[in-house]
Amino acid sequence: MTSRRKWALVPGFVALAGAVAFLSAYSGASSSQNFTPEQPINFPHPTHVQKLGMNCLYCHYAANKSPDPGLPAVGTCLGCHNQIEVGPNRPKIDSIPARQSAEIKKLLDNYADASGKPKKAIPWVRIHKLPEYVHFPHMRHVNAGVACQSCHGQVQRMQRVYQFSSLNMGWCVNCHVNGYKPADAVRNTEGYPTAADEALPPKKARYDCSACHY
Amino acid sequence: MTERSGSAGVKRRDFLKVLGAAGAVTTTVGCFQEDVEKLIPYLVSPDDTVPGVSTYFATTCRECAAGCGLIAETRDGRAIKLEGNPAHPVNHGALCARGQASLQGLYNPDRYRHPMARKNGKLERITWDEGIRTLRERIAGLGAGAANAVFVNQHETGSFAAFLDQWLAGYGMPAHVAYDGEAPHAVMQANRQSYGSAWPALDFSAAKLIVAIGADFIELWGASVTQQLSFADARAKLADAPRFVYIGPRRSLTGLNADEWIACKPGSELAIVNALAGKGDVAAAATAGGVDQAVLQRLAGEIAATKPSLVLSGVTTANALDVALAVNALNVAAGNVGVTIKPAEALTAFDRVGSPNDLRDAVQRMASGAVPIAMFRGVNPVYVLPKSLRVAEALAKVPFKVSFSPFPDETTELCDLVLPDDHFLESWGDAESVRGSVSLQQPAMDRVFDTRATADVLIGVTKGDPATANRIPAADYRSWLIGRFPGGAQAFGAALARGMAPGSAAQSTGTPRTVAAAQPPAPAPLEGQQGDFYFVVYPSPVLGDGRATNKPWLQELPDPVTKIAWQSWIEIHPTTAARLGIENGDHITVTTAAGTVTAPAYVYLGVRQDVVAMATGRGHTGYGRYAQNVGVNPLDALPVAHDASGGLALATVKARIAKTADHSPIVSTEGSARQHARGIGRAVTAAELNGPEEEEVEHFAGDNKHDFLPGLRSPVANDAQGVLGNPKSKDKGMYDPEHWSGMAKRRWAMAIDLARCTGCSACVTACYAENNIPTVGAPWQGRSLRPFHSGDGNGWDTRPGANILKGREMQWIRIERYYEGGEDGSSDFDTRFVPMMCQHCGNAPCEPVCPVYATYHSPDGLNVQVYNRCVGTRYCSNGCPYKVRYFNWHGYGEPARRQYAFPEPLNWQLNPDVTVRGKGVMEKCSFCVQRIREAEHRAKLEGRPLAADEFTTACAQACPSRAITFGDAADENWSVARLAEDRRAYHVFEELNTFTAVVYLKKVNHPAGGAR
Repeated sequence: MTSRRKWALVPGFVALAGAVAFLSAYSGASSSQNFTPEQPINFPHPTHVQKLGMNCLYCHYAANKSPDPGLPAVGTCLGCHNQIEVGPNRPKIDSIPARQSAEIKKLLDNYADASGKPKKAIPWVRIHKLPEYVHFPHMRHVNAGVACQSCHGQVQRMQRVYQFSSLNMGWCVNCHVNGYKPADAVRNTEGYPTAADEALPPKKARYDCSACHY
Repeated sequence: MTERSGSAGVKRRDFLKVLGAAGAVTTTVGCFQEDVEKLIPYLVSPDDTVPGVSTYFATTCRECAAGCGLIAETRDGRAIKLEGNPAHPVNHGALCARGQASLQGLYNPDRYRHPMARKNGKLERITWDEGIRTLRERIAGLGAGAANAVFVNQHETGSFAAFLDQWLAGYGMPAHVAYDGEAPHAVMQANRQSYGSAWPALDFSAAKLIVAIGADFIELWGASVTQQLSFADARAKLADAPRFVYIGPRRSLTGLNADEWIACKPGSELAIVNALAGKGDVAAAATAGGVDQAVLQRLAGEIAATKPSLVLSGVTTANALDVALAVNALNVAAGNVGVTIKPAEALTAFDRVGSPNDLRDAVQRMASGAVPIAMFRGVNPVYVLPKSLRVAEALAKVPFKVSFSPFPDETTELCDLVLPDDHFLESWGDAESVRGSVSLQQPAMDRVFDTRATADVLIGVTKGDPATANRIPAADYRSWLIGRFPGGAQAFGAALARGMAPGSAAQSTGTPRTVAAAQPPAPAPLEGQQGDFYFVVYPSPVLGDGRATNKPWLQELPDPVTKIAWQSWIEIHPTTAARLGIENGDHITVTTAAGTVTAPAYVYLGVRQDVVAMATGRGHTGYGRYAQNVGVNPLDALPVAHDASGGLALATVKARIAKTADHSPIVSTEGSARQHARGIGRAVTAAELNGPEEEEVEHFAGDNKHDFLPGLRSPVANDAQGVLGNPKSKDKGMYDPEHWSGMAKRRWAMAIDLARCTGCSACVTACYAENNIPTVGAPWQGRSLRPFHSGDGNGWDTRPGANILKGREMQWIRIERYYEGGEDGSSDFDTRFVPMMCQHCGNAPCEPVCPVYATYHSPDGLNVQVYNRCVGTRYCSNGCPYKVRYFNWHGYGEPARRQYAFPEPLNWQLNPDVTVRGKGVMEKCSFCVQRIREAEHRAKLEGRPLAADEFTTACAQACPSRAITFGDAADENWSVARLAEDRRAYHVFEELNTFTAVVYLKKVNHPAGGAR
């Protein structure tokens, strides 16, 4: 390489690489936001939550009691699905059209025996994962009135669940410092906040490191 | 493409190169995502289990005969921590180090994972069906020989002994031999004769004078937790506490807690006791014992004048029974029975224990070829009996040997059939620790491996043969227990929640085989033997008879007296060492008539000048990776000799010692044995306590005069928080006591009462269990970058304790031990035990120096270490005057690394609420911040404020002396707030203005004659 080219090329390369690294670090590309994995069974939240009106806590039962929100046992699914009429293949009943659901068939074939007793656990793909040095207490947030959808997005509309928020520390701390407006909880759960709701002060939380890192 | 020289601009090829490189960088950075994990749900959710919240089971500890009540904390079906059961009469919520470490027996990576049988000379895996069938066939084939069968079981209280004898009797086999290597048999037999029960309750706080003649009641003599609780209450009376005198050739841990040590020759104790009782000549006793006559005279006077007193015997010489009887007679004459010695409230822990003489007799019968089948459960005779008994050769003469041990110990490795027992945390049982009260044992979790409870195996043996199938009416041991429980299954279930029930365990009706009428071998009289030194073997307070050595926490736990870990040592007096030119670490060989043993020397002030002492417990040749080939076994040099009760006599020989050319550095965590007037562990005498504070000898100006308030004490450390910590910001910073979050209202603090602390180190192991602290002393964890004679030449330093030798220990709380006095080699020295952990300084030297703000002061008074920020400059540890910060020099927490401290399944024990630290991260005591947060969360969940003393740290919870008190010093309802204002309170290195959150209360001494 000529001396002249070296002076043009090397700093140029370094500057370009530096810019790339800097920009990508701030791009959010290092988080799993929008991660939309395929699950072993295509469980549709809209059917269960919007159509049937099931509460989040029916399945994620520990979210208001424990740091860990809990995953429904296979028995929870089968509690309804081995009662629902004639399994995955349902003929036309009144005005409800006939339906053949391959997913319910998967549930009943792979994970329950002929009598409906569960026999194998469903290996769900984990979407939301915080590093192990973060101790996040679900129940504090749920009991403080933070709506599930504020962090997890409109899960009731997600045919396939994806990670809605970045779950970066900055995102968490911002809410702790700025406060969570109770009116947002109403808004995020498809409600319309009243003036009284809007007037409620934002709920702030402690933001020093030892709240979560220990 | 031709190069056009001299042209400006970037060539296309170069442009593509740069673009490619930049693109690669972006893709690499942007594509980094954690591995996809699976979430596996339950099939059916268990009742009463919330994920992420612990479930607690009450059960009973089986690490020693005492049978303390446990609460086992389980998370997601795995036991992660053991605590004492507060409702239990034996331990009242405390737990010793061995009890804490029993989790490492449950999760020991060297446990047998399935039954084994010896085929072609090697132990090979078999099925349970085959194992039970083999045992059944062997027993069926015994015929008349069944009367000579031997079953050796660990001594335990409860119904299993009766169940076992019932099973044995059904096959015509004699009752089992119940062996306990740690029980003081002479004392028990004397107690039965003098008081009517083997172990009356001892009330230390009712006594005004305590004299222990070799009775190490803080260690393995008796039920240590029960005794420590009582002893601590006695010392808590401060100026009115009883004076404590220890008599013996070696100053044990118990002796170090005494106000006075009378260093007598082994074997002279009987003369001394008689002199103290007024029945013998004081001058002759003083000469025989090598002690000062005036001292004995004074003590005799004290005993006569001070009532009630408590005199205890624990000698291990040949005349142990006589000494114990004499001591008991002294107690009876002094009127101590019913006051300090309470036979009516006896502990039943030692009832019906067989003596080592019974075991010796069984071994000798085996050696004669008379025994057709030998079965072992929970006892390791090849290791725990002296080598001179030649147990391994005796076993070779037994045609068929069965072991129920879960571990590959020395005895099991010689057996033909291994049917590994469940751990006590996986199985059912009961214990009767106090008469009339049954302590239940239930599984805290499912089995880790394919093991079975021995009782169930025995039932399986009977069930397989139609002739014997109905002999035991129950399907398994649990049903058998419920069958005899008053109230049946329902009452049993209700009692399990508490862990206790009134009632009694089954009593065995079988009589053990009577031992041959010939007297057990008594050793040659001590004084007539060859040798300049008395060789005193004593049971290690941590490792006991060696059963605990396969647990890395206990190998790593520094011996409470010598602070040595992962190593054997021989104690020798400083004057003697100087005379013989022996320094710490020089290997010396002790030769007795029975054998030799070689180990590094350790210079210790607490032995007589003519005594060398050595602890049992190490020197295993098997028993798993943590025990094997670490240290040496002093029993190799001990003859087989018993006292008249059948107990093994440990101080029976004289020895010659010789210095060898070898040298090993001592693996010790001790920095300095003396304080050099630094005021770390301070004491007052009882007389000084009755006077004004300023006249105390160890009073430093400024003690206890500062405020103990919430919040930060240093403006400098505030910088770490930037605007959030700035008192001038609109939020007034998070340290403002009026901050809206209420964060700064608390000031977590700790008070440690040195008058109560005995140095037993239960707190240390409790901390390891709670906080995922790695052990660093195993032989594969050391690194040696230079050629080193102990290294293997490949860069690994394979000496046990290699990291500790480099000063790279890992121990969030350590017990420091300082001597005062005795510089001239005399026996008159005082010992201070100081538990030292992160002091959570209000003005911490470690906080301002961290370049990445990984450590800062939390508004509620904690010095927090944020592991994920730490980059490992170690500047914080440089600044810490207490040296309580510990660095992960190797990847102890990383499974892929050689130094990984938690090989499967030890990692099942890890506390999920505490981060496991990787290489390069600094860590230290966090005041159990995970427990603080858990309590705060729980209180918020229940909609109430935190109650005073609602929870505590792991160390405080385990302490059998209740020496540590933790809580909120800013709230007067918490106990620690009151203790911080105590007259005896002081801070260590107060003059450095660190404003520590830990306050120590001075030890109270009682010198002879009420001297100041």
